[in-house]
Amino acid sequence: MLNFAARSHHFMRAALIVIILGAILAAVPGGLKLGMDFKGGLLLSLVPNEGITRGDVENKLSALGYPEAADRVQETEDGRFLIRTRDLSEEEQQALKDGLAETGTVDPDESGYVSAAVATETARNAAIATSVAVVLMLLYITWAFRKVPHSIRYGTASVVALIFNLIVTAGVFAILGRTIGWEIDPMFITALLAIIGYSVNDSIVVLDRIRENKARGIGGDYDSMINLSISETLVRSLNTAITTVLAVLAVYLIVGGPIRSFLMALFVGIIAGAYSSIFVAGQLLVMWEHGSWIKLIPGASRLQRNKA
Amino acid sequence: MMRSRLTRKRPRFGGNSWLLLLILAILGVSIWVMTPSGTSVLHRQKENLGLRLGLDLQGGISLGYQAQFPEGTEDADKADLIKITANRIRTRVDAFGVTEPVVQIQGGDRIIVQLPGMTDRTQAQSLIQQTAFLEFREVEMNGTSAATLKDYLDGSRADFFSSGVSGTRVFAHAVSVGEPVASVAILKRNESGVLEYLDGNGNALDTTTLTDIDRSALSWMPAVRTVDGQTVVLTGGNLTKAQATVNTTQAGATEIAVDIEFDSIGGKVFDAIAADDYGKAYPQNMSGIFLDNQPVSTPTFNTSSFGGKAQITGNFEWNEAKLLAAQLKAGQLPVELKVIYEPRTVSATLGADFTHRAFLATLIGVLVIGLFMILYYRLPGGVAAVVLLIYATIVLAVYKAIPVTLTLAGVAGFIVSLGMAVDANVLIFERMKEELRAGRTLKAAIDAGFNRAWPAIRDSNITTFIACGILYWFGSSVVASSAVMGFAFTLAIGVAVSMFSAMVITRTFLLFFFSGSRAAKRLAWFGVQPKSGVVGDA
Repeated sequence: MLNFAARSHHFMRAALIVIILGAILAAVPGGLKLGMDFKGGLLLSLVPNEGITRGDVENKLSALGYPEAADRVQETEDGRFLIRTRDLSEEEQQALKDGLAETGTVDPDESGYVSAAVATETARNAAIATSVAVVLMLLYITWAFRKVPHSIRYGTASVVALIFNLIVTAGVFAILGRTIGWEIDPMFITALLAIIGYSVNDSIVVLDRIRENKARGIGGDYDSMINLSISETLVRSLNTAITTVLAVLAVYLIVGGPIRSFLMALFVGIIAGAYSSIFVAGQLLVMWEHGSWIKLIPGASRLQRNKA
Repeated sequence: MMRSRLTRKRPRFGGNSWLLLLILAILGVSIWVMTPSGTSVLHRQKENLGLRLGLDLQGGISLGYQAQFPEGTEDADKADLIKITANRIRTRVDAFGVTEPVVQIQGGDRIIVQLPGMTDRTQAQSLIQQTAFLEFREVEMNGTSAATLKDYLDGSRADFFSSGVSGTRVFAHAVSVGEPVASVAILKRNESGVLEYLDGNGNALDTTTLTDIDRSALSWMPAVRTVDGQTVVLTGGNLTKAQATVNTTQAGATEIAVDIEFDSIGGKVFDAIAADDYGKAYPQNMSGIFLDNQPVSTPTFNTSSFGGKAQITGNFEWNEAKLLAAQLKAGQLPVELKVIYEPRTVSATLGADFTHRAFLATLIGVLVIGLFMILYYRLPGGVAAVVLLIYATIVLAVYKAIPVTLTLAGVAGFIVSLGMAVDANVLIFERMKEELRAGRTLKAAIDAGFNRAWPAIRDSNITTFIACGILYWFGSSVVASSAVMGFAFTLAIGVAVSMFSAMVITRTFLLFFFSGSRAAKRLAWFGVQPKSGVVGDA
């Protein structure tokens, strides 16, 4: 049997570092790239006239009074130019399209528009949905474990694991945003909520085993009981993660394309969920049981030992 | 001997047999639902197994509008106005012939429209927002000959020739087959009572333009008659029906037209006009049908009595005819709409064989998971793989029967639910293995496995339901709604069925086929290494 509990403070410290790093990556501007649905604005797909270069389009945009859009012109594989601007009124949109007519034609089907008000509301509702989901998980798990002493610890443990999963996913997307320009869309929020629903299962399975072993008095002291519970559920945690990841991978490879960011988020979230159910949820219970939070600070335990 | 056999068998062929029958019945119904033959209402489309596909899978246009209420509109009135607007849009969309469109009111002032299968966004916008102003006109007479623009300009007229008819005059040539004609100018009496020449967009024409203008264009005045004591200007408002149709001409060629029917007063007015103009000399014997001040068709009256029905012909494409019919029928929208959400056309971003790839992905997902289960859990894994196929069939049948609109995200939701269905099985099998290793009989191990795994399965699936509920709220509150809601719905159904499949189907199959059989003596079939002689069916 692997002794997870003895190293609980190492695992928790690692988790804390990951959470802080991930949060910084996601929060720093230029990290998580918000897509049109959250930022609002106009996207024009310009099919350039013969001989029109990217520079021509950029100059035209600057001349029309959109220098910030000129900096962000993107060329697609089929030789079109994608132009993004802030939210514009209908008249401004028309004026811009008319102005661009010299450089090429705007393909209405490949263009898009989201008003700033709609975008703000989408972003706000996404934040509300995610936070409400997390709080409801805490409440439900606390309730489901109500017959166990300190049931709030179980609720908290699974929610901390959950937050770990969400932040890892957001952190990975911040890196993807920085490196290959992936943007966040409502499907990303959908994936986050799916991760909330799905990865919390992993923690619940581990905690459920702890609940059962505790009730039956199996495993000796608290640490051994936790170790036993984690070991007993280890195979299940890995197998479930493997099967689901295989399924998601199959879709990613075959369908990919427009929902690749959604699938990538699921992929990361499921793996993070398997990890956190073993190395976060159970370990938090151990630390809480011993009240040994001081160990989270590196070197603190050595200091204590020296004192003794 | 007989008696003892019967009494021994009874417990095994009791409740479990009924469950097995129930499962087979459910499977049978599911297969029947999924079979794309027969005349059942469920088989709305034979392609794609008859599943309802969302915009991202079958292509189409999605648009979000915000109503621009006049200032000071009461909240109660707003609610009514938005409902009327949505209904009119629905009427137009239906009239155009979009299958399974979505017209949805959101948050009191927004309308979300989804038009599956439509590809032309400009056309979609005009279908939703624009009203076609159709009017019937007659040729104005200057004494015994037809009035032209030249008559007006040369005489510097300060009044209309037919002073009894006050509406605008539109100057245009007669429409001949095969050639669209634009109106040359519009003459209107402005607020100060002076006649003013305008172009087709309502902008005033300057004198230079008027000098060079095509002066031979005929003057068309509104068709007005007094019938039953009512003076009526004949417009699209007098129509009760408008429908695109295909005529076959005597030469055998086909021609696209719009069939129209007048309301009772409109029919009488039209007949009164026909009675006046039929049989007169050209061009007075023509009727003018104008759309937004442009001539659509100028047929010659071939009878003096129409009985309330007529036809508009005018070099239409089929889609144009449908659009016109839809615009004529639905009437004006009571509030102005502003576009707030206009995502890229989905079909444009995906390949044509996309739906097939989504189905292929699902199939491969099922196969890969099944294979993994068999390799790892042996016999029960094989059972789980079969159960997974049954699970997939039932879930797809539920999607079809409700029907659930399957989006790309919905397919992903379905696949995640596959993972969860497997998860339940994994939980149970791991428990079973433990019980077998502890030396229990197979029957006891199966029962214990299920009972012990149940609290974890229950709790984890309830948390997923909670997440689905929140997702559904999120989806219904944002404009980019369909994908999010589709995912929530498919996942929730998937999880519900997965609980049934693991707790009832897998369990019943395991108990029915393996308890008491030779399998019970081969622990290796269950992925368990036999320890000592404490094995077997007691």
